[in-house]
Amino acid sequence: MTTLFINEEEVTVAAGTSILEACRQSNVDVPYFCYHPELSVAANCRMCLVNVEGWPKPPASCCTPVSEGMKVSTESEALVKDREMAMEYLLIHHPLDCPVCDQGGECKLQDYAMEHGSGKGRYLEEKRIIKDKQLGPFVTTSMTRCIHCTRCVRFADEIAGTGDMGVLNRGDHMEISSVVDECLSSELSGNLPDICPVGALLDGPSHDVSRPWEMTRHQSTCTQCPQGCDISIESRGQDVMRIQPIEGSPEPWLCDRGRFVYDAFRNESRLLKPISKQEKVSWNDAINDSIALLKDKRIGIICSPDWSVEGLSAIRLLRDTAFKNAPVAFDLHRRDKRSFAFEEGFSQTTQQIEDADQVVILGSDLRQRLPLVMQRIRKRVLADKPVVRIGSMRYRTNSELQKDMLIRPRDWVSVIASAIEQVMALGKQAAGMQAWLDATQDRHEAGKVLADALLAETCSLLVGEEIRCHNDAAALIHGLDLLMRGCGHAEANNDGRNLIPEGMNAQALTALFAKDRMSVSDIFEDANQGKLDAILLIGSDPIGDGLFPVQAREALKKVALIQIGAIQGEISDQASVLLPASAYSEVEGTFINMEGRVRTAHHPLEVLGDQRPLWKIMMRLLQALGQDIPAVSLEELRIHMHRFIPELTKVDDKQQDAIFLSSARNRKSILPTQITLRTLDVVSRYSMYREGMWARSSELLRGAGERQKLADVIMHPDTLAAQAGSIATLDTDHGQYQFKIDVRDDISPGVLFISKRGIAGDISNVVSVDINGGSA
Amino acid sequence: MSDVQFSPQRLDEILTLVKRYPKAQSAILPVLHMAMEDFGHLSIPTQQLVADTLGVRLMMVREVVTFYTMYREKPCGRNLLEVCTNAGCMLNGADELLAKLCEKLKIQPGETTDDDMFSVIEVECLGACGGAPIVQINGDYHENVTEHHLDDVIAKGRTHDPI
Repeated sequence: MTTLFINEEEVTVAAGTSILEACRQSNVDVPYFCYHPELSVAANCRMCLVNVEGWPKPPASCCTPVSEGMKVSTESEALVKDREMAMEYLLIHHPLDCPVCDQGGECKLQDYAMEHGSGKGRYLEEKRIIKDKQLGPFVTTSMTRCIHCTRCVRFADEIAGTGDMGVLNRGDHMEISSVVDECLSSELSGNLPDICPVGALLDGPSHDVSRPWEMTRHQSTCTQCPQGCDISIESRGQDVMRIQPIEGSPEPWLCDRGRFVYDAFRNESRLLKPISKQEKVSWNDAINDSIALLKDKRIGIICSPDWSVEGLSAIRLLRDTAFKNAPVAFDLHRRDKRSFAFEEGFSQTTQQIEDADQVVILGSDLRQRLPLVMQRIRKRVLADKPVVRIGSMRYRTNSELQKDMLIRPRDWVSVIASAIEQVMALGKQAAGMQAWLDATQDRHEAGKVLADALLAETCSLLVGEEIRCHNDAAALIHGLDLLMRGCGHAEANNDGRNLIPEGMNAQALTALFAKDRMSVSDIFEDANQGKLDAILLIGSDPIGDGLFPVQAREALKKVALIQIGAIQGEISDQASVLLPASAYSEVEGTFINMEGRVRTAHHPLEVLGDQRPLWKIMMRLLQALGQDIPAVSLEELRIHMHRFIPELTKVDDKQQDAIFLSSARNRKSILPTQITLRTLDVVSRYSMYREGMWARSSELLRGAGERQKLADVIMHPDTLAAQAGSIATLDTDHGQYQFKIDVRDDISPGVLFISKRGIAGDISNVVSVDINGGSA
Repeated sequence: MSDVQFSPQRLDEILTLVKRYPKAQSAILPVLHMAMEDFGHLSIPTQQLVADTLGVRLMMVREVVTFYTMYREKPCGRNLLEVCTNAGCMLNGADELLAKLCEKLKIQPGETTDDDMFSVIEVECLGACGGAPIVQINGDYHENVTEHHLDDVIAKGRTHDPI
């Protein structure tokens, strides 16, 4: 620690801190443009000059580390003049177009020109004009306003990792440019307008439509991925204008998916009125129609994990009171049907993952799935900390991984077995290891990578969708648990087992439904076999998402569908009754992210149309079913919620980051099973721009997704000598399909990658296929 | 991969050079000079080649190329005439010399003649003010240049002889 004096106040900060950071920490105002806490230091705006006693000239505080006893003053006559001169330089070519600039009102340049500028320019020569740039679908530019702070260049280089921005020319001709006018290809591009201190980089979708001071800010939680970022939704009247990150949140950035999904908040796919038999009806009629389909019937409940915990608790109350033995399913990608065989969630925070000695990514397209965790991984790589990956595709990342092993999904058992064998050879034991090994035959070389990483002091396993969706997922996860235990990673709540969930609230869902959970495919199967009369679908879209669209379509031919949701999906055409519920942006409530971090949304958006919060709909259904209503207010509902999840009582606003819910563990031994497979393994690809009802309804995301699109069916060129553009016939357990094949060499041989678009989605449930022919 | 490639000898030379620096990135300047020698100018594919050869990003090479005026991004004529118009040369009539030269070749500074024989660039101080006005012709300093000398240069240049 270093003690120094800032404006005669004694301040103690960590050694090596910059003077500017020390000032920021002690709430002393020093103006700056180019400094950003998450980026490297450039020291090129010269605004942050301060005086240091005994130094001949004022240093830039952003790049000067503190030293013991240093006497810093941030106000003096000389500094007033220095700042005025710095402002004059910065403003030389800056246009005077604040009244039409989107940044106006939240612009550092405007604020500082007011505070530190001279009020009158002396520059009478011609001002220069810079051509605008193409920076991807979400960024609009007005480069003449640029003051060359190079924050965007550092962002592209250090954070996005695309490095496609830079500073061209020199001196007066200097300009920010992207590589030969190519667009920025980052899933974090929406952050560029945020880091631009002036109005040069602007938020494209909200360009020229509103002013910052007209906005009402609604603090909420993003549920577009399990990360659950804090967001500030900005609205003007009924319109949602944009989504911004909240300063001081656990993650400093927002991904494009969470940021630009907002255009689905207000488009025609929103469900605003109750609909029965394809017609808009009143709430009373809709409830009566629902009751006719539900009362005394055998129902299956499919719910989205992304409702608030209050909403999910209300679903539990409905089930407990009126449908005692109804099966519940909430993940659309689970092939392994064993109930409570494994539960998702992280045992570490993203910071702990960043700091761990070793990180292993197991079968996950992390950059698309959790862009902000990928960001942490990138920080590790830049700091020369090891990251290795095992998976069926070299998914595009923005960092060089130390080792990148390609395997087929069927190899997971042999990978884990080989790792267990190597760990046991070193004398590290856990009860059950031998039994697990005995149940397997093959070994895979990639196991060494896993074993080596696990031998480190701390090791984070990021277990992704390839394992979660595996038909033997429970055994694989048990194998990983054995490995962790054997290698001594057993510290409670920090053992490094991070199972990436499908959606939010994984820990709450375990507490609420663990014993009754089923795979969604089981519910469809039950429906097909006549064991159910109706499906109550609360907020997800098993036809548009997930692995079981074919089964869903089959099942819905036999049973009635009552859908409750904020937005319509591909399944909604089949619903007998549709009840409109408030979206995640429109409710007051509690959310839990993958780390177990509790977020509370306080100030929701105004409710649209005839929507009701989910919990009220549940209570209304109970009332109509002739039951007692367990809760008539949010407070009463929260009492029930606290009964289901006692940890939540400890949460209060001030310390919500201090409490983490731990994910449940299954300690029973689950051994791998041998099944016969066809020649090729099928992996269903995830796209952050199309997965989920919200993303699919958002035109902004759809447009961005088009740029990143890969072909529907892809495989490695060595796999059965596949040729791009050839038509292949696939034999599956459910019949034959024909597809046009594309080839890529970043895929593991022996794997068929399919997207969930169109007819390729029909084989998403298939684990393996045989391929016939390959005629061009 | 781009169509532009270094010759195997050149690649050897680059590899030896890179070893002298702590990072390959540090060799950008000399490698760009080599590329300009080999290909005449630094087109985007050439810059990409340099970036790939050194394992740096294209943007980093672009930044260097545009920062320094002595890297040419556009093709130039067979003979390159760089006229200094900085203080010393200016006092000794560099401006008039440049105007005459341009008039003779019917081009503007920064342009190339239609037959691709001559390019003229106005440059800053070449550090030879003792012999002002100075014109750098194909890398060689020509000091105390007169209009007459320029005529000789143009005549020689047209005959494809080395100047």
